Amino acid sequence: MTGPHVEKFIVPIGPQHPALKEPAHFEFTVDGETVTSASVRFGYVHRGLEKGAENRNWAQALYLLERVCGICSHAHSTVYSLGVERLAGVTAPPRAQAIRQILLELERIHSHMLWVGVAAHEAGFDTLFMYSWRDRETVMDILESFTGNRVNYSANVLGGVKYDLGPAQADSILSGLDYLEKRLHYYMKVVNNDESFLGRTRGVGTMTTEEAENLGAIGPVVRASGVSRDLRVDAPYLLYADFPINVITATAGDLQARFVVRIQELFESTRNIRALVEHLPEGELAVRFPRKVRAGETVSRIEAPRGGLFYFIKSDGGENPFRVKVRTPSLRNFMSVIVGAVGHQLADIPMILSGIDPCFSCNDRTVIVRREGRDGSAAPSESDSRKDSSS
Amino acid sequence: MSMDISPLLKMLVFPGGLTLIALGLLYEYIDRKLVARFQNRVGPRVLQPLADTIKLLAKEEVIPAGVIPLFFVSLPIIAMAGALTAGLYIPLAGFAPSFSLPGDLIITVFLLGLLTICIGLAGANTADRFSLLGATRTLTQLFSYEAPFLLALLCPAILADSWQISIVDTSVTGHVWLALPLFIGFFVAVIGLMGKLELAPFDAPEAESEIVAGALTEYSGRGLALFRLGKDVELVIGITLVSAFYLGGLSNPLEFLLKTLGLLVVVAALQALFARLRIDQVVGLWWRIGALLALLQLLIVVILKGVIL
Amino acid sequence: MTTESLLEEAVQLIGDKAGGQSVPEPGRIDLTVEPARLLECVSALKDAQWGYLSAITGLDLGPQDGHLEALYHFCQKAAVLTLRVSLPRDGAVIPSICGLIPSATLFERELMEMFGIVCEGTPDPHRLFLSDDWPAGVYPLRKDFIVPIPAPRPEKGTAE
Repeated sequence: MTGPHVEKFIVPIGPQHPALKEPAHFEFTVDGETVTSASVRFGYVHRGLEKGAENRNWAQALYLLERVCGICSHAHSTVYSLGVERLAGVTAPPRAQAIRQILLELERIHSHMLWVGVAAHEAGFDTLFMYSWRDRETVMDILESFTGNRVNYSANVLGGVKYDLGPAQADSILSGLDYLEKRLHYYMKVVNNDESFLGRTRGVGTMTTEEAENLGAIGPVVRASGVSRDLRVDAPYLLYADFPINVITATAGDLQARFVVRIQELFESTRNIRALVEHLPEGELAVRFPRKVRAGETVSRIEAPRGGLFYFIKSDGGENPFRVKVRTPSLRNFMSVIVGAVGHQLADIPMILSGIDPCFSCNDRTVIVRREGRDGSAAPSESDSRKDSSS
Repeated sequence: MSMDISPLLKMLVFPGGLTLIALGLLYEYIDRKLVARFQNRVGPRVLQPLADTIKLLAKEEVIPAGVIPLFFVSLPIIAMAGALTAGLYIPLAGFAPSFSLPGDLIITVFLLGLLTICIGLAGANTADRFSLLGATRTLTQLFSYEAPFLLALLCPAILADSWQISIVDTSVTGHVWLALPLFIGFFVAVIGLMGKLELAPFDAPEAESEIVAGALTEYSGRGLALFRLGKDVELVIGITLVSAFYLGGLSNPLEFLLKTLGLLVVVAALQALFARLRIDQVVGLWWRIGALLALLQLLIVVILKGVIL
Repeated sequence: MTTESLLEEAVQLIGDKAGGQSVPEPGRIDLTVEPARLLECVSALKDAQWGYLSAITGLDLGPQDGHLEALYHFCQKAAVLTLRVSLPRDGAVIPSICGLIPSATLFERELMEMFGIVCEGTPDPHRLFLSDDWPAGVYPLRKDFIVPIPAPRPEKGTAE
């Protein structure tokens, strides 16, 4: 089939592939079972959110940007709110900040547990997949009873939050966390001790400290390589200065280290949530927010579950954002896949890919969804042909 | 002119043919259900495997471009025929095998291997990348577990002084289960069976998160249904063989059900317990540990036989 | 090390290569850089291992202004250093920094297709996000690209 003169054997992964829960296209050139090079193509779930935000007013854009990602939706709406509030010179009241932070950490729990399941599935360990997703329902239930939604909570408004945390909800959060912590200890044991699982994670997708620094990796990926890089500590926002977390790092830099780092981070999250729930500041939930935001530009960054989330927001003093640049952690980390895949077995690729917890919808945010033929300025020939055919 | 129809019945209805297929579907259901329950899932309904098969049989069979159509169509049939033929030499449901001849153990194991070879060839026949990789892995795995599995089955055969399944079966009946003294051989046989059936954690040849459906990616409709049925039949035959040899023989239907289902529970539990092994890990495991263990067991059996008898 | 001293260090590294500097908000410093001197600046930051390239933002200041901007955000702890490169809207060309920072390739591909800024020498100039049938020369994040609002679908049966 492939003659001796053909050296390249390309294994395409995606846009539709069982290993990818979301669409992206990778091409891995293999020699036998060993990968020799890799390339990537995104764009299958573009929705044009950056451009869309420019056509909406400040408040509408909040709800639009919350939909950048289904998993870390609250992270996106919080980073945007923080940036816009800074531009407008408004500060959310402490109680609102605490509630935002509680939601951020709850979101981290559900995101990391989702990842544990997906990564276990890629390793062919469906039992861990099923168990972790079952237990993840606990945190989903907490979020649903708190905000009414399992994802896209729309808890933020510009200038504060919508939902208050009552004593009943506080109790349900605390008891849910008790159960989760018990389960997390169990998962910690599995990822550290299960020999067959270690066979698929130890030494796989290793990124040394130096490589991680050079690639500019972020989030749990870089922390698993021994770099202490966490915006919650480096540049505290919300109440992280008063209710700090400890940065979890590991040195091995392989998949196993990423499992350990992610699960240990969840213990930090539960501790943080407990402290916040028990010392919730009193006061207002939101302050008035002006319709127009004075001209200026700001960089807003928070630590999303997958790593540092970067927003650049520019206002020209009008009712709409002039420019919202979204740089999601997955995009920053994809380079580690492209570089890290070379030299590995094809069987390990899904594990390496899922090791960074890729989120394709997050990446694919910047393009206009163009209905074919309706776009006169962009594609005159197509719209012409449509007129012809419809008349 | 009178005609003896009993061989025909044996081949088409019992124990071959329909009974074997029905048992295969049932055992597939039990296996899937058990694994699902171990994983905290609901699992399929009892008629799900049958429904899958009927649906597949009713579907159009798409012959993709770039294949040799004759092979593409005939390989599933050969595979299925091989598996069904193997069923004629085993003590299915505790009854004596329909056909028995000296050395039929080798024939049975070969016929089961035929199924795997057909799957590998089917994958190599198509131009699809996933199929090719799957075929490579299927055949690689075949070469790694086949020898230890056969060696593990030979241990009871050597003790019984015969390579005829029915004789081995009767010779172990009534004695202490060979799984106890020959636990190494039993262990290798069970793990070898799982490798043969490509069950987790030995499912690298069809690892869906890497290579979709492996060698059978391009198959649909009738061909896929036949391969799946063949695998179900292989499951029944393999489990029957191992429980006949190592669990004290199968002399009646009740014993058959209890012993094979017991073994199935063990196999299902093992599937839920481990993460999938990479193909290089599989090969390494078999040649470094599996083959050595099987040889060791064989050595012990031969020495003991020489000393005691 | 405080954020201020980090930023001071960065300014010392490349301040002389930059045209002007401004402090838009605490914790940030913007340095205006000529396209021709961009590589020098990035290379100085890289050699000193100052931070990591967090993002490249494209900015269209509008047809009246006539300029595009490419903002290279480098982050170290809480400090954000931005290299602002101003480019003409027509024929915007900027040297690729992939030779220095290979992982910038995805950012540069995005910049090229969204704003029409040519990153000279980028290893992979193919589209990253836009579809293959997207018309050439149309850059969606430029201000003069108007989001087409689809005409309402004609009711069934009322078609001409």
